[in-house]
Amino acid sequence: MAVELTSTKLNAESHLLLDQPLLRLPHELARRNFKSVQRVVEREKEYLIPALKETANASLARTRGPEQTLESLDAMISRMQGLKRKMENLQEEEKKIHMESRKRIQHLQDLYRISSLADVKYEQWSRIRLDRLIVDHMLRWGFSESATQLAQEKEIDDLVDLNVFVQCQRIADSLRRGETKVALQWCGENKAALKKSQHNLEFELRLQQYIEMIRSRQLVEARQHAERYLSPHSETQSREIHRAAGLLAFPPDQNTEPYQSMYSPQRWNFLADLFICTHHELLSLPSHPLLHIALSAGLSALKTPSCHSAYASSSSNSLSSTTSVCPICSTELNELARNVPYAHHTKSYVENDPVILPNGRIYGRERLLEMSKNVALVGEGKVKDPTTGETFDVSEMKKIYIM
Amino acid sequence: MDLVQKEHERLWKRVKSSKTINDVQKTIDLLQAARDTISVDPTKAPTTLAKLQNPVKTSFDAINDDLKETYSGLNKYTKALDKLFKDRPLPSIEYDALSSQPDLINRAIVMHLLREGQFSVATTFLSEISNKKLPAQSGNVEPNCNKGAEAFAIDQFQSDGIRDQFTIMYHILHQLREESNLIPAIHWARQNREALESRGSNLEFELCRLQFVWLFRGRKEQKASVSGRQAALEYARSDFQAFVPRYLNEVQQLVGAMAFYPNLDDSPYRAIFNNPSAWKDVAHTFTREFCSLLGLSADSPLYIAATAGAIALPTLLKLQTIMKAKRTEWTSQNELPVEIPLPPSYLFHSIFVCPVSKEQATDQNPPMMMPCGHVIAQESLNRLSKSGKLKCPYCPNESQPRDARKVFL
Repeated sequence: MAVELTSTKLNAESHLLLDQPLLRLPHELARRNFKSVQRVVEREKEYLIPALKETANASLARTRGPEQTLESLDAMISRMQGLKRKMENLQEEEKKIHMESRKRIQHLQDLYRISSLADVKYEQWSRIRLDRLIVDHMLRWGFSESATQLAQEKEIDDLVDLNVFVQCQRIADSLRRGETKVALQWCGENKAALKKSQHNLEFELRLQQYIEMIRSRQLVEARQHAERYLSPHSETQSREIHRAAGLLAFPPDQNTEPYQSMYSPQRWNFLADLFICTHHELLSLPSHPLLHIALSAGLSALKTPSCHSAYASSSSNSLSSTTSVCPICSTELNELARNVPYAHHTKSYVENDPVILPNGRIYGRERLLEMSKNVALVGEGKVKDPTTGETFDVSEMKKIYIM
Repeated sequence: MDLVQKEHERLWKRVKSSKTINDVQKTIDLLQAARDTISVDPTKAPTTLAKLQNPVKTSFDAINDDLKETYSGLNKYTKALDKLFKDRPLPSIEYDALSSQPDLINRAIVMHLLREGQFSVATTFLSEISNKKLPAQSGNVEPNCNKGAEAFAIDQFQSDGIRDQFTIMYHILHQLREESNLIPAIHWARQNREALESRGSNLEFELCRLQFVWLFRGRKEQKASVSGRQAALEYARSDFQAFVPRYLNEVQQLVGAMAFYPNLDDSPYRAIFNNPSAWKDVAHTFTREFCSLLGLSADSPLYIAATAGAIALPTLLKLQTIMKAKRTEWTSQNELPVEIPLPPSYLFHSIFVCPVSKEQATDQNPPMMMPCGHVIAQESLNRLSKSGKLKCPYCPNESQPRDARKVFL
């Protein structure tokens, strides 16, 4: 057997491929949080310092009475208290995010202490990873309740991003219901980051609002809306804007393309998908569930031509206690693996000392004899084929050579 | 990774020691103090306010400096992360065979959850799936959508059956592990005796043997007590009869050990009676047999596949990079282009690679054994056999191609 085929060495560095979002996401959140802090501080600074100056000048020039001075001081104090409250909230959030990152780093660090894939600790680690992947998959498909429950039962709340996905799902759902408000609010919160994005989510949302206005025949409002929100995009979205203008002439009950498809309720699903796409991109989340990435690689790595063969495999089947069922042959994954490519092997891999029975089945000699000994009703000097159940004379076993 | 940890540690300290809020409070205090002064003596207003300008500005500067430091901490951490994941983007899935089959993935997850004994999560998950299905179905009039829902209903029914089975399994395992109670397991093994025997499984005997040992040693891990031995002997009388034909040796050993009870630990029977992993082994065997009778693999396939995936990904990623750089595509459709180094426990089937063509045997191209006992793939055999004769590529033997026989690995 080739040396690398049996390798159990664990290279943690490259093993962490799947775990990038684990650290990236909270980091993105931390950066966003930090930017909010910066923004509120900047805003208050820009208010307070000129205001203070003005009050001082006014008081010096005696254009304002003491009551007015006190009033404006009170206003400043209450604004600063507002700032303090906001900052306290944000700092709380910041600490929470960093605490999470810390635990995640700790979790990944655990992997570096494991040197072999055969280590029991690796199995534990990998099981936690699987739970994480399942939670990720559930969240992305909108099964948030199951995800929450699983995360709690496995105590991996800190390692999965429940809130982020639940919020994302909520906005996507609101779009599917035909509401743009929450999504636009989200766009407002992430204005700066969205500028870099190639998806034009905000434009599409505004366009949808415009379409809805025309649908309810509020043509005047629709034109104003278009002037205000759509025209600024005329450089990049001119085609869409022309179409939008054309829409004015085509009421929803006329079956003329492309206007008909603009009126289509399917557009809401498109918006929801676009939102999810933009959201994931912004938080540097992969577009596919990680479980899919892991599984499609794993299924291929494990799959052999025997897994979907019409003939029962002698080496791995459910008929004998000496073999274990291959995971690809097991009911759970068999159908799923049907369309993935199978693993590449350059060398044959068979049991030691293979023998062949008269029915053409090949087994390791020792395993066959051992197994026949345990099976009831097999007489002395007989062997039983564990797959077909036929019995043969020991002398009928024939040595076979597999290069 | 160490770098990431170090940078994060630094950032964390930074965040914890952040004084920005203190600075804000200081500003508030300043303003408040000024207000108090002015309200007491309004004539001091101009001077107080004039004096206030600089300290307020300073405290804002302090806040900004503080933020700047946090910002540089964040940036350093970003760099550490980038360095850790440099050249390692997540591989893209070009041939995504999975996304089109969400039902199958969900089914696999449900079965995984059941198998792991997470019954309540599985129930929640199933109900969430069916809730999601219903509106989708009513909004869509296509007939095949109905068909999908029907197929899913069958799935659900099936998974109910599987759930019941796994509930039984967990009950038995729980009794076995937590309560040291073998009776439910033995009961199950008796019920399935025929199936187990045809598989050549020793499960029932192993369970009974452990029961004997457990009785023998007495309930509370005391030195083998008289009552314990008595119970064990009675147990052997009543239950071992059935095992005598198959396990005569082992039964003799067990009963023979009776004679050694005072110094069992020095006796040759020590291994049987003092095996700390016996319970774990039996539980493991039990799980394996139980799953096999259901046609399922002993370990969760989802776990194995996901782990194998994580092991395989670096190799596949490298392949992707190379292919992109050389602008080549891989030609073999059904087979991965590279060998994935998996640990030996991840090899389940025997693999036959034809020594002549270097191709893996498939149903269409099965392995064939020549009369000399050497095996090659059928296509190679056809290619080699010209003019009705076939010379083995490995030995001097010559034979007729029709004498070659199909073999099963």
